[in-house]
Amino acid sequence: MTSLLALVTESSQNPVAELCGKFGVNWPFFIASCLNFVLVIWVLKKYAFGPIQQMLEQRRERIAEGENKLKLIEKQLAESEQTTTAAIAKASDEAVRMINEAKLGAAAFSEQKAQEAIAQAQQILVKAEAAAKADRERLSVELKREFGRLVAATTAQATGKILTDDDQRRINETALAKVEA
Amino acid sequence: MRFIFPTIAVFFLTPLAALAGGEAEAGLPLPAAPLWSGLPITNSMLMVWLAVGLITLFCRAATKQMALVPAGFQNFAEWVVESLYDFLSSILGSYMVKKTFWFFGSIFLFILVSNLLGLIPGVGTIGRYNEHGHIIGFLRGGNADLNMTLAMALIFAVMWFYWALTENGVKGFLAHIFAPKGDFHGLMLMFMVPIFLAVGVLEIISIAIRPVALTFRLFGNIYGGEQTMEKLMELVPKSLAFLPALPFYFMELLVGFVQALVFMLLTAVFLRLICEHAGDEHH
Repeated sequence: MTSLLALVTESSQNPVAELCGKFGVNWPFFIASCLNFVLVIWVLKKYAFGPIQQMLEQRRERIAEGENKLKLIEKQLAESEQTTTAAIAKASDEAVRMINEAKLGAAAFSEQKAQEAIAQAQQILVKAEAAAKADRERLSVELKREFGRLVAATTAQATGKILTDDDQRRINETALAKVEA
Repeated sequence: MRFIFPTIAVFFLTPLAALAGGEAEAGLPLPAAPLWSGLPITNSMLMVWLAVGLITLFCRAATKQMALVPAGFQNFAEWVVESLYDFLSSILGSYMVKKTFWFFGSIFLFILVSNLLGLIPGVGTIGRYNEHGHIIGFLRGGNADLNMTLAMALIFAVMWFYWALTENGVKGFLAHIFAPKGDFHGLMLMFMVPIFLAVGVLEIISIAIRPVALTFRLFGNIYGGEQTMEKLMELVPKSLAFLPALPFYFMELLVGFVQALVFMLLTAVFLRLICEHAGDEHH
């Protein structure tokens, strides 16, 4: 305390030099202290702040990148969901259309087959009718012939007369006209 | 509330301890003591080297195998650096902190580590006796040497000028100091110009005083703390010397941290004042 007071009151030619002397400030120590402080700054900048800040920055970038990727994934997911929904809707429409087309195709096919069956049945019927008609005509001719022969034979036996071809024809026509009537 | 008692105790006990110790020369000497004659190496400088070594070891351990998911030392170092960075960012702004963090971060960590190392038992008490019969410790608090605090303050002053000029330009720098602040026109402007010129002169004096204030504030607090504890230890028999100093160790822990913070805060604020608009165009 007294020394400080003395320092203040003491007259001096160069108070700064005296103050420096009192506190031990001189060029060699001051320069050495400056170098020490610069060394501290260099060490901290090179080995602490540099790598740590780089790591913090890297982490910050990775987090930001992750956030961006997450947003992108969410966007892509939403788009994918939209695309899937659209695809499902399109597929559903396509399926309905195909089912309808198949139904229509089946109905047409069925109709075609039915028509073919009807046509075939009709042909069979016509053929059957033609065959029946032919058989009837053939039977009719045979019947007429047999009936004529029988009538001629019966008439010849009944009358004892040999019938001519004209007689046989006339008797046959008369008998047939009666049978047909 | 818990800090009031030690503060009051320091207030009353320090003069008492000084009186008990008598002359300042009988206590801790003002200048740091050279360890070898002819070499500019003092006991304070040795402590600074210890601090540098400790910081280097810690940094190497923390950054040797860095991983994206931090653990152990790396985790702690990242917490320290990130907290400091965010704190300084709130003072300097995001633009200036990117440019100056290495300086302010170094100042804080260096002062803190030096101050805390100065509290290790044996610092200042293990040494040799001088011609006055007083122990000259082999180690002394790094910031209990005015050369060290002056070196830091003057390096800051140089860096302050560099940043002020690079961010504002010479014209902007001078305008920042001398130009009228506010929207003045005509007669009012002519009236304000001489006033602001005078204010600028005061500002220059203030700028010139800043390194001196920074130097003596840090030195005074650390030297005063060590002196107080030394004097308190002289109050009682040597076998009980640790007892009166013990409570003050806790306060000195706080002082060590607070002084590191104050030095960093003041230097950062001084820079902020001159680079107030720096980086505005970058945002």
